[in-house]
Amino acid sequence: MKLLRGQPPIVKVLTGLLLAGLFLLPTVVSSPTLMQILILVIFYAYLTSSWNFVGGFAGVLPLGHAAFVGIGAYTSTLLYLTFGLSPWFGMLAGGLLAALIGVIIGLPTLKLRGAYFALATIAVGEGLRVLVENVEQVGPFAVRGPKGLLINLVPHAPLSVFQFQGKAPYYYIILIMLLAVLYLTQRMMNSKIGYYLAAGGEEPEAAEALGIKVSRYKLIAMAISCFLTALGGTFYAQMFLYFNPKSIMGIDLSYEIAFIALIGGRGTILGPVLGALLLRPVSELTRIYLSASLPGLHLVIYGLILIVVMRYQPKGLVAPVKQLFERHIIPYFDKRRAKNGAPAEETD
Amino acid sequence: MALLTVDTVTKRFSGLTAVSEVSLEVEEGQIVGVIGPNGAGKTTLFNCIAGALAPTSGSIRFAGHEIAGKRPYEICQLGVTRTFQVVKPFAGKTVLYNTMVGAFAQTNHLHEAEAKALEVLEFLDLAKKKDIYARSLTLPERKKLELARALATKPKLLLLDEVMAGLRPGEVTEMLPIIRKINQSGVTIVIVEHIMQAIMNLSEKIYVISFGKKIAEGEPRSVVADPEVIKAYLGDEYVATQH
Amino acid sequence: MLSIVESLLNGILMGSIYGLTAVGLTLIFGVMKVINFAHGSILMVGMFAAYWFVKLTGMNPYLALVVVVPFLFCFGYMLQGYVIKPIFDAEKDVREPITVIIVTTGIWYVLDNLAMILFGAEYRVVHTAISGKMFEFHDMYFLWPKLIGAGITLLCGVYLFWFLKHSKLGKAIRATSLDREAATLMGIKQSQVYNIAFGLGSACCGVAACVLVPFYYVYPTVGVSFDLKAFVIVVLGGLGSIPGAILGGIIIGIIETVGAQFMAATWTELLIYAFFLAVLFVKPSGLFGLRQDY
Repeated sequence: MKLLRGQPPIVKVLTGLLLAGLFLLPTVVSSPTLMQILILVIFYAYLTSSWNFVGGFAGVLPLGHAAFVGIGAYTSTLLYLTFGLSPWFGMLAGGLLAALIGVIIGLPTLKLRGAYFALATIAVGEGLRVLVENVEQVGPFAVRGPKGLLINLVPHAPLSVFQFQGKAPYYYIILIMLLAVLYLTQRMMNSKIGYYLAAGGEEPEAAEALGIKVSRYKLIAMAISCFLTALGGTFYAQMFLYFNPKSIMGIDLSYEIAFIALIGGRGTILGPVLGALLLRPVSELTRIYLSASLPGLHLVIYGLILIVVMRYQPKGLVAPVKQLFERHIIPYFDKRRAKNGAPAEETD
Repeated sequence: MALLTVDTVTKRFSGLTAVSEVSLEVEEGQIVGVIGPNGAGKTTLFNCIAGALAPTSGSIRFAGHEIAGKRPYEICQLGVTRTFQVVKPFAGKTVLYNTMVGAFAQTNHLHEAEAKALEVLEFLDLAKKKDIYARSLTLPERKKLELARALATKPKLLLLDEVMAGLRPGEVTEMLPIIRKINQSGVTIVIVEHIMQAIMNLSEKIYVISFGKKIAEGEPRSVVADPEVIKAYLGDEYVATQH
Repeated sequence: MLSIVESLLNGILMGSIYGLTAVGLTLIFGVMKVINFAHGSILMVGMFAAYWFVKLTGMNPYLALVVVVPFLFCFGYMLQGYVIKPIFDAEKDVREPITVIIVTTGIWYVLDNLAMILFGAEYRVVHTAISGKMFEFHDMYFLWPKLIGAGITLLCGVYLFWFLKHSKLGKAIRATSLDREAATLMGIKQSQVYNIAFGLGSACCGVAACVLVPFYYVYPTVGVSFDLKAFVIVVLGGLGSIPGAILGGIIIGIIETVGAQFMAATWTELLIYAFFLAVLFVKPSGLFGLRQDY
């Protein structure tokens, strides 16, 4: 895999073990609660990695991305409830719709600077949520406003219905989705689009002077990001079988996605994943154990972590973690190989 | 037909006329210099050619295309690349990465871009530093990187905006053969400059701008002796002392 | 017809209070070039402070101004000095200082949810001598607290405007907002100016808080809707412009109340967002915006 080319052998081995472990996990985990937590961690890692295309690589701060999660969920669910269309196709439709809407929104907004863009995305995100909350029926589609949509459980459903017994199938689906997005991210970073986005983000004037129409590439990133995010929306709908505008398009979700990416390290491949790995369990556990007595505590913790990380590691935690790994763990394995007669690897 | 024709270009900024009806011509293969005292309007003129500004009136033609008012990326795609006086490297990326960004103007493929970038880096003697991060480079090295990045786009015309700015005299002397080498490889160059040594050494033709107007044009030696030019730079008292 | 005029006037009243919170925000932005996402939370803190003051002392809520405004000034001053400043400094040369925006968002989260934990989510109301009293004018009814509130906020707006234009400190603040570096060269200590600007911005919230408490519910997330409206107003009026913020606030207030005559309240929310986006796209520098590099 190109991702691993040039990495020392120990990294390849560890990655292999990790992947194997991830795929075998459902066989050893029996508690459905734990499975749910794992699925949610991977789900959020997926959402933030999708967000990363715009928030990390295009260099802007979108704070209304939950709108696209909602577009995905509502599209596939409405098509299923009204026409019986398989959510797999609905997922695709939702993704394309989200990409289209994302580009339409992006055309005027991506020209705006920093804080203005952030505000615009909040306005769009909230605006769309309020819009959906106010709509009961659109043509044949029963949107049901703030009540949200409910999907009936179909026991022993065929594959086309996108419902499964037990959590394991959902786990595998989202895991594969995440790995696909990570791979896509890596491919993009090492392509013309990736280079152009990086250039446009760092020095837009210089980039333009080198023939780059920066806005065009930002829009491409936006389209990809919105498409992928919407797919996540469908997954959520099929997993939980119920959602409403607040839960799936709310500003809390938008912020959480952004925070996770920022704390983990936006613009990197593993940053968002790291962020999700650190923050999601905090969120779930405080919710499970403390929400009765201390509601919102996990958000306080989120906020504090955000402030501290931005203070000391504004580029996210992935950089120091990577450094730690490179400085201590790799040389350790190098020494062992040297001891066993193999030549030491060149480290930077 | 000249490669670049600037035809009576004027640029006004609500009340201030920075460039007033300036015309100039650059033939293919030449190195043409544009000089003038501070605030004369050279940079404004430069920016009009490069697309960073749109002229208020007049036309700018490159290889037959009208480029006045076009965006910088369009102008680059037509074959004109510029460098910046205050260099703008992509600081968080390596020298090779920086150059590849330029090379992608020629191709869509990563490997090709890498190959072309390495070629340019070899040409400018920067290849050994290809994996160094741009922020760690010295100023002369950054200037070379700026040149490398621009060259990687394979321009027909290279616009150099005070490329010597900030360099020590020794560094300026080192830069001269590099620019000549670029020109000899087939790139026409327009160089806006302050430092007389560089301009005199490099240019085949010089235009002098003062207070937004063209006051002299011609070969370096005759331009420098031109009384109007001396007056513009040094004031009336010095005219009589020249022969 | 009468109801439209009534709602128009009510819109102006409520709008001037919105405007005052926006003034605080625009002041902070004008000086520090940072959009303070924690602004609504600071307002919430002020409202709770005013609430407790009235509850515990039973005194007139307008007297609370004397306590709450300085309290919020100090609160803002220290928040800026200890939490925001270090991050701000680290980002001085960065093209787009988004990290500070992110940190203010973090502060918002912490404050709102801390309040939730400490005070609970219930909606609180303060009963004062004038709560609920109406003022009648040609068959139109206006809440006394709103009238007084609007009056106070307008006075504050005028005072701030005067202060910035004529006082030494005010001039220092304006200088910093126009050209940071030049101001430093003139001997103006930047960090002091920032702290004071943030303190003043928070103090504006303090005034608004005291004025709101007699007729508005107090609860932990009350700041959120004010926050979003404040952003809209600030962009509408032009970032950095105080008259713009007041005027913008009045416009938003009018849209809100007059709109409510014709459509459900939730649709007016949408209307405001749509209006906001329209302004952003058509004239991002706003009504009175400083024509500089935003």
